[in-house]
Amino acid sequence: MKWNTMQHFWLILACFVVAYLPRILPLLFFRTRKIPVWFNEWMKYVPVSLFTSLVVKDIFISSDYTFMPLTARVPELIAAALVIGVAYWTRSMIISVLVGLGAVFLLSILI
Amino acid sequence: MANKAGHSGEAVPQWRKILDISLPVDLSYIPIGLACGILLHASGFNIWMTILVSIMVFSGGAQFLIASLLATNSSLYTVVLMMFFLELRYALLGSSLSKHLQGKSLGFTALFAASMNDENYAINYLKFSTDKKFTPKDALQVEHTTLLFWTVSNIIGSVIGSSISIDLTVVHFALTALFIYMIIMQLKEKLLFVICLLAGVLAVFFLMITKSTLGLVISTLVASFIGFLIENTIRKHNPKSSWIKQLRNPGGSPKEDDDIYE
Repeated sequence: MKWNTMQHFWLILACFVVAYLPRILPLLFFRTRKIPVWFNEWMKYVPVSLFTSLVVKDIFISSDYTFMPLTARVPELIAAALVIGVAYWTRSMIISVLVGLGAVFLLSILI
Repeated sequence: MANKAGHSGEAVPQWRKILDISLPVDLSYIPIGLACGILLHASGFNIWMTILVSIMVFSGGAQFLIASLLATNSSLYTVVLMMFFLELRYALLGSSLSKHLQGKSLGFTALFAASMNDENYAINYLKFSTDKKFTPKDALQVEHTTLLFWTVSNIIGSVIGSSISIDLTVVHFALTALFIYMIIMQLKEKLLFVICLLAGVLAVFFLMITKSTLGLVISTLVASFIGFLIENTIRKHNPKSSWIKQLRNPGGSPKEDDDIYE
């Protein structure tokens, strides 16, 4: 069965609702309330935990949620190590992204 | 960058400042947006639906999920349920930015939430925590600049269709590199380093258990809460502990150096 445009439209609308609610509810909740100190202390650890989880998913987890054999991920592992070094020493976001992209591109051709 | 703008008055126009700040994400979005537009086209989306989904959902992960689920003939119910789990983590982004966006108008909050995603959150979080002059309005403009690059790239991808092929696993690494950069910027204390390793292990565990991106939400919640508990315990017993002391950095900390984006 192929979906028609009207069905696509309703799909997008439904996706918008489930994507928008988690985006807006916390911001609405804390818009006028005082944020508790413990909550901000907890949130301090959110970025590092979230970004690490995203990176681990990108590098080690396949699209069917199994752990990928490391030998299949050599280009990504080398490129990731390179990006860590570049980010640490240059503190530049744009250089880190470009080096990472260039490295994984070249390594996936070579390996 | 912000310093330069401050010293030379109006020399750097606002749009230029925002473009400079958002550039790493803007550039990453070009190949990824192209690939996304191509895939959406292949799964039957016409150009208007591609534009609509790029603006209303504005999430690479979500749009790739839609394309791949449509290609496998999933039901509307399945797609929306998967979407719900995938997008649940945005509650975390909003929560951790809320202290910077307090007291803004309802309209501003609604608009800000609509275009917030992982990548522009990364940029805005870093800017808010390192640049005192960075305002919520600047952050909203960063969101809209990244939205523009994303939507236009999706449109072009939709138009060229399958006439070119882009290796998605390669271009997606631009975002992985962006997140790695963000982690390195966050590792300012020994304890954060421990939490980073913990989050990595938990992410593998929960992603494999839940078989969905819900694993990301659980690992983030658990790792960050453990971090919070450990920090409070350490502060109670030994406030001068080296585990929560700022680490020195060879590249200089972002607070002393506003040119980190260049």
